[in-house]
Amino acid sequence: MANRRANFCGSEDHLIHRRGFLGAAAAGAFAANMGVLNVLQSPTLASELKRQQKHVILLWLAGGASQLETWDPKPGHDNGGPFRAIETNVPGVHISELLPKMAQRMHTTCLIRSLNTRNADHGGGAELMERGRRDEPTVKYPDLGAIIARELGRPDSEVPDYVSMYTTSEGRRKGSAGFLGARYAPMFLDKELMPANIRRLEQISDLDHQQRGELRQMLGEKFARGRGSHSVDSHNGAYKRVRGLMASEKLFDVSLEPQKYRDAYGPTQFGEQTLVARRLIEAGVPFVKVARGWWDSHGQNFETHLELVTELDHVMSTLIDDLEARGLLEHTLIITLGEFGRTPRINPSLGRDHFASAWSASLTGCGIKGGAVWGKSSPDGMTVVDGEVGAGELFATIFQALGIDHKKDYFLGSRPIPLTNPGIEPIRDVLA
Amino acid sequence: MLRAFQRILLCAAACGIWGIAAAAPAEDLLPADRPIPEVVDHYIDAELQKREIKPAAQASDNEVIRRITLDLAGRIPTVAEAQAYVQSSDPKKREQLVDRLLGLPDFALHHRNELDQLLAGNDRMEGSWRDYLLTACQENRPWDVMFREMMLSEEGQTSPGALGFLKSRAKDMDRMTGDTSSIFFGVDITCAKCHDHPLVSDWLQDHYFGMQSFFSRTYLTKANFVAESDEGDVKFKTTAGETKSAQLMFLTGTVVTEPAPPQRTDEEKKQRKEELAKLDEQKQPHPAPQYSRRAALVDLALQPGERDFFARAAVNRVWHRLFGWGLVNPVDQMHSGNPPMHPELIDWLARDFIEHGYDLKRLIRGLALSQAYSRSSIWLEGERPDRDLFAVANVKPLTPRQLGVSLDLASRNQAAMPVAGDDKWKDFITGRESRAGRFTAWVEVPNEDFQVSVTEALYFSNNAEIVNEFLSSANDRLMSQLTGQEDREAALQAAAWNTLSRPFDAEELQLFKNYLAQREDNLPAAWQQVLWAVLTSPEFRFNH
Repeated sequence: MANRRANFCGSEDHLIHRRGFLGAAAAGAFAANMGVLNVLQSPTLASELKRQQKHVILLWLAGGASQLETWDPKPGHDNGGPFRAIETNVPGVHISELLPKMAQRMHTTCLIRSLNTRNADHGGGAELMERGRRDEPTVKYPDLGAIIARELGRPDSEVPDYVSMYTTSEGRRKGSAGFLGARYAPMFLDKELMPANIRRLEQISDLDHQQRGELRQMLGEKFARGRGSHSVDSHNGAYKRVRGLMASEKLFDVSLEPQKYRDAYGPTQFGEQTLVARRLIEAGVPFVKVARGWWDSHGQNFETHLELVTELDHVMSTLIDDLEARGLLEHTLIITLGEFGRTPRINPSLGRDHFASAWSASLTGCGIKGGAVWGKSSPDGMTVVDGEVGAGELFATIFQALGIDHKKDYFLGSRPIPLTNPGIEPIRDVLA
Repeated sequence: MLRAFQRILLCAAACGIWGIAAAAPAEDLLPADRPIPEVVDHYIDAELQKREIKPAAQASDNEVIRRITLDLAGRIPTVAEAQAYVQSSDPKKREQLVDRLLGLPDFALHHRNELDQLLAGNDRMEGSWRDYLLTACQENRPWDVMFREMMLSEEGQTSPGALGFLKSRAKDMDRMTGDTSSIFFGVDITCAKCHDHPLVSDWLQDHYFGMQSFFSRTYLTKANFVAESDEGDVKFKTTAGETKSAQLMFLTGTVVTEPAPPQRTDEEKKQRKEELAKLDEQKQPHPAPQYSRRAALVDLALQPGERDFFARAAVNRVWHRLFGWGLVNPVDQMHSGNPPMHPELIDWLARDFIEHGYDLKRLIRGLALSQAYSRSSIWLEGERPDRDLFAVANVKPLTPRQLGVSLDLASRNQAAMPVAGDDKWKDFITGRESRAGRFTAWVEVPNEDFQVSVTEALYFSNNAEIVNEFLSSANDRLMSQLTGQEDREAALQAAAWNTLSRPFDAEELQLFKNYLAQREDNLPAAWQQVLWAVLTSPEFRFNH
């Protein structure tokens, strides 16, 4: 199998991969294709070690936030709505007056105002913006969290490497590791702040819990011998991670956080979950998604955004300050994103509808040129007039900001699948 | 190396070459009247001999009965079944076992679940869909008949379950086209939308949109009935930028000519629209078209000369189910750019499948009786041979339902449950199988390169269901038999047979005896840990 793989390409990047693979193949540790992927991840390269300190917090604005009431206001135009645009601490960059705190932190953040993603359906749009591209019938793409977990997580990590907090029911989607497989599926919190099954049952003593795990491991290792099955290895691997993951329970407990930080983030669910996100990445979790729902403002758009954007402004700026104070901001990329934006035209219910033709997202922190603005929408907000990009370009930008080569190949069987589709380029102007 | 290179070009080749890898002339194949297992072993062994590979030894009786019972009945064997098989010296015991399992109600339940996964995947379906599949599996309805029912059932007052396949895809033309091609014909044609063959680019798009044309008039009514219009064509842009109308073209290149659509005046169109709206209001289905494109597809695809796609796809998928790896992989890349390792074998099996009325049960029986199927899954010396040589058995993850039912049986006091095959068994196992459906929440459905998730490991480690149900000391549970047992070795062996369908070996016995000896302070708890360790071991989690 090794020589099959070696045919693919002669690029420098792949030479490195091949070397890593051959080393492991010689050790006879893995036979199946996905096994190769894990070997490639072994932290032998300095750049990989460096990358592993990086993290992503995705603030997911479920339902679709209005770009006009956030990053791309259109004051003075009929489509503009009642809110003003305000100056920021970056000369020439104006954002909605609903984001006064972010306006003072614009130097940490770049804006992309020219997303044209062409899918204004909640399900289809969410899938696209989660994965950066559309599935093929035979290729289920992993979502951003799963890729980051694979790229930045450690195979034997004792903390989860992809946590998704989605307590709001709106647009709730579990996320999918696609062809990367269940090893990279999210730890999904949809009911409470604590992950399911992370606590030991009281009726089992800690010693029993540990010893039965050891008994299981002995049986498992004995069975795996001669089976040549990466699936069997993954079974043993998943159980090996259990005790470590259980120890990360405390990370989810906001009550362990000093009151001053709890106050700073605020008592809202979004605030608390973002605080949990910070606790998680501080402990080494590579990817945390926090979903905030109810942005789908078909009616009463302005009341809705007054409330939600104000909260976003507060929580996001608190997070930035907190990460900066801890020296984590330069290693952490904060993304605000939803499935699409909202129509510039205001409907008779004073709402804005689904709109994917010219909308915005923001990137903060790691690898980003703070204060940069990419792309431009027309004065009425209806079209992109400059720098049009899609989900693929946004994802390529995210990967590059984290030091991950967006052209890197995964292998599905023998078929090479690059992280972003061929021809896609990152937005270099917003990269540091 | 050549094969490897062909695989790299897999997608491009899929789009470029539609013909099936040149089928051997029928006279070159083994005679049609030879038994399936003999033919399987003939071709598999011939390839191994050619490559001078000595296959793995046959698996032990304990492994064989566990493997066959999981594959055919969707569960582990009961202790009585396993011991009877192992102790029997009847030379025909394997055949008897297979025939017995195929006759149990368990077979239809499991076969239904496998077909459900294949046809519906993770779609949320109406209950009538699974009911339809179960009835069809109980009757061993031929695969061509099922295909016809899924594509062409007529809507009545209540929608027939068979239409679930179309219904769940009716809003997405690409899925309906792509899934039908992939599932029933073994080819993923969607790449023809984006790839171009340098020489015959238009031809390719003709193909994709040709297949789509068979479905383009199918839609879902407001009252949620599947319907088909009698007009409307698929138009597409060629890579040269020209707009073309698609022909009704099957994967073989055969084109169907259809009668001209009815010409309606504006008045007639308006009237028709009103009639349909009225039917929607009354929650009635729309009338069938005079000419059905879907019916044309079904008729064409099952005709001699065209039906190889249909037969080979089914054979390959059933093979994949039993062997954990297809004769062609991926199972929906069956084209000449991705040839099978054993071309004569798949040709022979497809011919046999057609000649015997697309009988899935007969095919399953034949494969399960081959020696290739019952090899050991252990390979210790040297590099493990490629999976498509079938020199050593593949380890297959259990489906969520297989795992759920098996856990249930493994953790039971089997003296307190019906005997497999008795009068009360059908109700019992149907209930257990139905309850096992909940495992889909925690356990991933097997796929290629399957991995176990941490979610599953955490669930088994810390969820109260596991302790309260499978490790409970209630009288109907295995635990109740263990804790009271004076003879510790006998108790351990009882636990081993109950869970793994075999006795523990000396090493395992020692391990557990030592552990229990340290835990005299709280033996009930200690026995729970022993049972937990066995039930969460990969030997239990996988079919091997």
